[in-house]
Amino acid sequence: MGVILTNVFKAFEEVEGKPKYVLNNVHLKIEDGEFVCILGKSGCGKSTLLNLLAGYLKVDAGRIMVNGKEIDGPSAQRGVVFQQHALFPWYTVQQNIEFGPRLKRRKDARKVAEELIMLVGLKGYEKKYPGSLSGGMAQRVGIARALANDPQVLLMDEPLGALDAMIRHNMRCEIIKIWEKTKKTIIFITHSIPEAVYLADRVVLLKDGHIEQDVRIDLDRPRDIKSPEFQEYVDIFEKGLTENEAGLLIAE
Amino acid sequence: MAQDEFLLINKPTEKKYFAPAVSRRTAAIKKAKSNKWYKLFSLLVFFLIWQYISNLNLEHNWFNPVFLPSPYMVLETGYSYLMKGTLFIHIGESFYRMISGFIIGLIVSIIIGVMITSWKWFDNMVTPVLNLIGPIPVLAFLPMFLIWFGIGEGSKISLIAYATFIPMLGYVTDGIRNTDPHLIRSAISLGATPFQVFTKITFKSALPNIMTGMKASLAFTFSALVVAEMMGASSGLGFIIIDSKNWFKMSDMFLAATLIGLEYTIFHGILSALENVILKWKKEGISNAVED
Repeated sequence: MGVILTNVFKAFEEVEGKPKYVLNNVHLKIEDGEFVCILGKSGCGKSTLLNLLAGYLKVDAGRIMVNGKEIDGPSAQRGVVFQQHALFPWYTVQQNIEFGPRLKRRKDARKVAEELIMLVGLKGYEKKYPGSLSGGMAQRVGIARALANDPQVLLMDEPLGALDAMIRHNMRCEIIKIWEKTKKTIIFITHSIPEAVYLADRVVLLKDGHIEQDVRIDLDRPRDIKSPEFQEYVDIFEKGLTENEAGLLIAE
Repeated sequence: MAQDEFLLINKPTEKKYFAPAVSRRTAAIKKAKSNKWYKLFSLLVFFLIWQYISNLNLEHNWFNPVFLPSPYMVLETGYSYLMKGTLFIHIGESFYRMISGFIIGLIVSIIIGVMITSWKWFDNMVTPVLNLIGPIPVLAFLPMFLIWFGIGEGSKISLIAYATFIPMLGYVTDGIRNTDPHLIRSAISLGATPFQVFTKITFKSALPNIMTGMKASLAFTFSALVVAEMMGASSGLGFIIIDSKNWFKMSDMFLAATLIGLEYTIFHGILSALENVILKWKKEGISNAVED
């Protein structure tokens, strides 16, 4: 089962009569419960890949299967966490998290929301509107809202991109904690190499629309950013990103 | 840096600062509440100046006092209407026409606005026509409406509804079109059907715009009300104005005009209060660019 992409092509425009592929013949197989980071520079097609997985975009050619079924548009089975949190500003924190279960008329919507509020550490903020939350808190609500539906796959589009360094690190630890507790398949988009190495079971490096590297991270959690093994992995991806290119990559 | 220069800069200040009793924000909210009384006070001053000018005029005979009745005389006229038992009939009739026309215009504008934003072909068919007839003053349509809908309530209410509908429509379509696509995406990914996306996301996102539109369109509603009552009615505040013109009853005109102004102010206030309740979520977060 899991998530399987076969021969995925996606272009948005033609250059000199030929499609300019943002994703060019991408193959990828993700197991259930795996934490995969899609790493790449801006413009490498990583967000397009996530939008395809979410169902907001449709493949030009190829096939994406989730748990044995070809995807056809967005679905509650694939929860999405956005970079700009995209919380509903007219609903309180609690109402935002309850949104999914309420749509399904689940009787335990309130209980589900309360548990998730505890999980993401937002006790006491239930009645607040998103406008008054800080970036980190809003993102926690975004994650809780996606989890409330109990999706099979969690798609995260640079969820920590808008946060400052201190909060980012805390949130990474919490995402790992949540993942260990819920055992979801997580596909996490990022442009930060250390973030990818810290979080993922497997890092997929995307470059110019194709998969450049696909590396399993064999480190025990919690991972030590300062250890030489960690640095080795970081070096691998730095090399992968800057190969055939002049200039150095400045990490984070 | 020389030692004495350093001491000069870091000299302890005379003034001591203490922890404030209330936050600046709470103080600002309190101040905003007292502003309400200032606004009421301004109305009082307006009527007092009007009374004073009328009194001066009586003394010095600058112009015929009949041309500018004093607020007191207007009040007296109002009292006589009250005694005759017709005051509330006129106010009620006008209010009934205004509110019916306003609500019908509002509902139709929301329905048409949703249709325009949902179906491109409908937009292409309807919008050019509305752009053509929209700018024509409502007054120009009154004779047609009288012929189409008769001299009863139908023609008046439909004219008022039309006058509300035209300005409202732009606010509704803009509000719906400006919905953040990320919110729609996240709602769909949480399992919302297209109908649920509309009721829970698009409509709620358009509400601030719709509320602004309601307040902005209210002026058009009221002018249509007065126009309709002046041209073919036997009751209502607009009718009082046109009827008293025929009998040269200046106080009655002023009474009706004042009542129209009052009714508008009250209704506008109700809409503002409603806005505060419905758009409570907008109150949190940044309220002004720079604190003052």
